[in-house]
Amino acid sequence: MTLPLYGTALQSTGFSSDKARSVIRLRSIESVAERHLADFAIARTSDDIRRAIKTEWPSILVVSDDPIDLSGAFTGRLIAVSAKYDYFADGDVIGFDHASGKFRTLYRRNSAHNSFLVTERCNNYCLMCSQPPKNVDDRWILSEIKESLPLIDQATRALTFTGGETLSDWEDLIDVLKECRDRLPATAVQVLTNGRAFSNSRIVDAWKDIGHPKLMAAIPVYASVDYVHDHVVQAKGAFDETILGILKLKDRGQRVEIRVVLHALTAPIIEDTGRWIARNLPFVDHVALMGLENTGFAIANDAMLWMDPVDYGDGLARAVDHLRAAGVNVSVYNLPKCVLPKSVWPHALQSISDWKNGFVEECDRCDEKHACSGFFTTGRPRFSRGIRAITSQRDRLNALVD
Amino acid sequence: MARFSPPEAFSAATRDLSLLPFNFERTGTGQYLVANMVGDFIRLTEDELRRLVDLQARPGDGLYEKAYAAHLVTGTNQKAQRQLLAARLRSRMSFLQQTTPLHIFVVTLRCEHSCPYCQVSRQSTDRSRFDMSEQTAMRALDIAFASPSARIKIEFQGGEPLLNFPLIRTIVAAAKARSGKMLDFIIASNLALLDDAVLDFCKANDVQLSTSLDGPADLHNKNRPRPGANSHELAVAGIQRAREVLGHDKVGALMTTTEASLDRVDEIIEEYLRLDLDGVFLRPLSPFGFAIKTKQFAKYDAEKWLAFYERGLRRVLEINRQGTPFREFYAALLLTRMLSDRPIGYVDLRSPAGAGLGALVYNYDGSVFASDEGRMLAETGDDAFRLGHVEHDSYNSLILSDKLIGAISSSLTQCAPECSTCVYESHCGADPVYHHATQGDALGIKPLSAFCSRQKGIMSLLLDILESSPEDAAILRRWAAT
Amino acid sequence: MPLTRRMLHMRPMPPAANLPAAASIKVDVDFDTSIQSLSALDAAAYRLIGTATCQIERVGDRYVCHLVSSANPQKRVPLSSDELKERFLNLVTDENLRSRVAEKTEGVRNVILALAFGGLAANQNDAG
Repeated sequence: MTLPLYGTALQSTGFSSDKARSVIRLRSIESVAERHLADFAIARTSDDIRRAIKTEWPSILVVSDDPIDLSGAFTGRLIAVSAKYDYFADGDVIGFDHASGKFRTLYRRNSAHNSFLVTERCNNYCLMCSQPPKNVDDRWILSEIKESLPLIDQATRALTFTGGETLSDWEDLIDVLKECRDRLPATAVQVLTNGRAFSNSRIVDAWKDIGHPKLMAAIPVYASVDYVHDHVVQAKGAFDETILGILKLKDRGQRVEIRVVLHALTAPIIEDTGRWIARNLPFVDHVALMGLENTGFAIANDAMLWMDPVDYGDGLARAVDHLRAAGVNVSVYNLPKCVLPKSVWPHALQSISDWKNGFVEECDRCDEKHACSGFFTTGRPRFSRGIRAITSQRDRLNALVD
Repeated sequence: MARFSPPEAFSAATRDLSLLPFNFERTGTGQYLVANMVGDFIRLTEDELRRLVDLQARPGDGLYEKAYAAHLVTGTNQKAQRQLLAARLRSRMSFLQQTTPLHIFVVTLRCEHSCPYCQVSRQSTDRSRFDMSEQTAMRALDIAFASPSARIKIEFQGGEPLLNFPLIRTIVAAAKARSGKMLDFIIASNLALLDDAVLDFCKANDVQLSTSLDGPADLHNKNRPRPGANSHELAVAGIQRAREVLGHDKVGALMTTTEASLDRVDEIIEEYLRLDLDGVFLRPLSPFGFAIKTKQFAKYDAEKWLAFYERGLRRVLEINRQGTPFREFYAALLLTRMLSDRPIGYVDLRSPAGAGLGALVYNYDGSVFASDEGRMLAETGDDAFRLGHVEHDSYNSLILSDKLIGAISSSLTQCAPECSTCVYESHCGADPVYHHATQGDALGIKPLSAFCSRQKGIMSLLLDILESSPEDAAILRRWAAT
Repeated sequence: MPLTRRMLHMRPMPPAANLPAAASIKVDVDFDTSIQSLSALDAAAYRLIGTATCQIERVGDRYVCHLVSSANPQKRVPLSSDELKERFLNLVTDENLRSRVAEKTEGVRNVILALAFGGLAANQNDAG
């Protein structure tokens, strides 16, 4: 079940017209934390509403399908949303558009997978893009994120910045990252980027000058050959810029992860790609080999892209071997254990963001479910023919077959 | 409506392709081995090679993909591959930043063995004028500490260094009293004179031991005659005793190859296994000192030795396949060069040569040599690699001496005929002392060099195994892994 | 008893002075000076050292290479005249190809070397 992160308020009152959007933090009614102007008490029942008013909350967010009647007892800011957003909890941060009532969840405190979408613009056009690019002026998003940062719990372990291409407005992004450094010094920050901007020394130097204690650029590389990568990302010259970007980042001591999304164009050559990375870029901090999320453009290009993971398992295992022999940290994301060769299991991580993570019925009797990545719930999920619960009985059968 | 372009839309036109530097070697009819600027290997047919040179490779033809990934071809206006090759080249040459990490102290020339191949003069035990003096030792230490390397290894050799054990004590204490460098110590000894005092000292000061083990008893004793004819027995006892006190991995063994060894590699390996050593270093016989006089060197040539080596390596691989981890150390060194860009600490296979820049040898009489072989050469009257003396030379004057600079610069494989275009050059090294000893000049004529044939033979063998046997290839790759 | 090739295989290598005079193989190979460079011939001759000597002579518009198999060959098996000629021709072909490759790549090679080591002089104090 995919968590709804977007919506439209059933009603809202008390918002001024001097700005178009507000960033809101949710608080439980009993919260004793210092109250910020952006804080809204969460109410789910009429009782809650009464208590909130009584404890002098100036702003209230109601999560309920029932109509609300305040009878003029409350003159502060009010938003009402449907009960399907009942995951809202203390510490969560929401972006709210005054005129339309549209809102989106920017941050959930009890999630391990918080990511900020920075823009929908991108200078690549990947065949499998899960967030198809749009040429819109959405620079307001970075401002909104900047406004959110002081509201985020400083104990947050990690944040991801994603897009589109996160470095589309690189100066603004770097500004936001500096805010992260200052406001959230203990939070590890990962920025997903195609890395092409880093072929420009000026941009790498500015990135380095952030001086962030735990910053990682996560950059996709799809092949060891220029036109193959360029074709996957649909941009001529992308491979050259991306590799140059990686080199420049590492030259300045910045942390880099390389990602490879596995599908019919990248998985048959994954052993070559893995060996090439092991030989040429062994100094990267991490390599993530990732199962495909069948959403966005991946659906449109399904015929070209779909490949059953059991058909590329051997190549994947060899790629992992090459990388490990070169001392590279390698993980496999988004692929359930049952479709992976056993040698790869130690590298297979639970990696799918909680809000789009699910399992199928077969998984109920699986011994490895607790340590498995499961499946994407987004888009049109396609399932491998290899999905099978792993039980000790299955292991014994496999041993017989071997 | 999203529109996507096919792969052809992303190919460069032929006129926009450029060749990158590479070397090659014909390996058979219509077959070539090709290596790029940092030594990545790829096999091409003659037709593929010609198409490559004519830039007739196109995306989708298989050759383009192979050649691009191997950095043989690039887009004329692209930048990443050039930067990548530069960065990798820098890594491969970064051993130059650790100048002179190894310092060998020949604390005495005295020895009670009389090995036929030994380069060291055979002086009997009671002639103490062949011992290094404390004054010489301290001057040598001054020089060692003047080397820029942050970490140095001090190796004690001889003769039999334990015959001058008191000086070893003095040197270790004096070195530790000086600050500024991390230190490793090792004594290369036949272990015949190992006693509790020596072992306690080694344990207390973290000194490692290295001994000679040429194979089973009869082979070892034949190579190493000693009054009592018990060299092997003493070495084995010494290894086991030293392990008990110092720990298993503080005691190593090296073999020396003689004519007698060449037909017995299986037994030699068996002996190493029997003693639970974690590997063997199959070395060639070095052509120095007594070896030349006693015609040891003339007795076998590169081909015979290569047959010995191949048999030994395959036996080692078989042992691994049967479940026992066991290495051939020279292969492990070469594989690290061939499969990664990590610089290795082995001073005997590098260009610029490791003479002087990699190691300095302080002889018992205060003379300083560019390598152990350079010292052995001097024992036969040839001073070509004597750089100076501890009394009047400093680290700088030794390293910057005309002799050393001349030997190193004239032997550079990057510039030498045949070497500079050799497909194996990225993984090979210069050996000015060997070539001087065997041919009379530091560069040598490589077609006549047994060093060269051995190197080519070993690398060709390793490549063959990596390509033809997945199980053996996995074993070899493990030896080169970090 | 005449020395046959088989006997040469079986006997250990005797000291040079005692080697009986085996018939040395001689063959001439010539090239068109307008398309064959002398430096490639030199390089091929160099690789042949130990197998055969090579004296290059210019005769009109041909380079003539006089090959004589070595009295003391590095390899035990001496080559026949045809084998020697083929070997030399292959070496020349390879050297010609090397020449072409060097010419096409010398520029970029210098660029890569400059990228790799050019910064060293300026950055003496880099941690490295």
